[in-house]
Amino acid sequence: MSVESQIAAVPMPELPASPASPAPAPRLSDPERWVDEHGDYLFKYALSRLRDPVKAEDAVQETFLAALKGGKDFEGRSAEKSWLVGILKNKICDHYRKAGRETSFTDLEFYKDEESDRFIPDGPFKDGWIHELGPQEWNSPGASLDSEVFWQTYRDCSNKLPKNVATVFNLREVDGIESKEICAMLNISENNLWVMLHRARMALRRCLETNWFGKPEGTR
Amino acid sequence: MKLFALLKTRFVVWVWNHTPTCAEMSRLTSRALEQPLSLRMRVKMRLHFVICAWCRRYFEQLNFLHEHAPRLGVQFETAAVRGLSPDAKQRIKAGVRKNLTPAL
Repeated sequence: MSVESQIAAVPMPELPASPASPAPAPRLSDPERWVDEHGDYLFKYALSRLRDPVKAEDAVQETFLAALKGGKDFEGRSAEKSWLVGILKNKICDHYRKAGRETSFTDLEFYKDEESDRFIPDGPFKDGWIHELGPQEWNSPGASLDSEVFWQTYRDCSNKLPKNVATVFNLREVDGIESKEICAMLNISENNLWVMLHRARMALRRCLETNWFGKPEGTR
Repeated sequence: MKLFALLKTRFVVWVWNHTPTCAEMSRLTSRALEQPLSLRMRVKMRLHFVICAWCRRYFEQLNFLHEHAPRLGVQFETAAVRGLSPDAKQRIKAGVRKNLTPAL
């Protein structure tokens, strides 16, 4: 935490000091502190989902506005950040809903070739893995979870997905939203969602194998 | 020894002919994360895994990535992208203030 944000985090004198007293409703001074304390996190989150700095900034601003207006729903300051992130997620979903009505979210061209290139094109073992291009053994994947660089690689790989495919992947895999809900939100068919998820997972697996699991430990 | 090799080849060919292709297996592996597959299909997949290390790995690795993907969502503090610029922070503060003042 930076010095500025620590100073900004000092409670205002008129705040009730007793822990037993009910949490105060957010006031006009709160957004200033919110922006300093949580602005960066919320912005990075929004940017990772929307991939557009202007739209991400708008989403953050809308989040603070909605937070101020809905302040009475907020209980306790300790969960302030996750409360704000929850509002931001809704704002991002609103954005997807709008985009889903205006343009098509379906992207089925992505990785079409890549998918078929890995399988034997003809003969008795048609559509079997080409052995050299098939999945290789991963060396202790569990240990990777503790590595900062592994997560950086995972994130970089997911950022390489085409925008709409990444949207679908994030909603399904990162947020854990059910398929049917995503289809309704983005206005796409379930079958198209499955194809997009299949290609996204295939591409990510491949990317992580190339950039992480396939590398000797010392050079990661 | 020769007989064993022959039986093994026969078995592999039989399984290959009675289970989905690897391309199909990769689709099914992903589909299984969305909705439960029929018992019949699950048995076929298990059988395919017996003869195919690639599909077995694919299945395990996809499930691994699926299981841990939620953690991607909380990695933003360490993300190598810049946060809000000081200008942007001022803009947001001003924007919030402007939108609230008429109500007070």
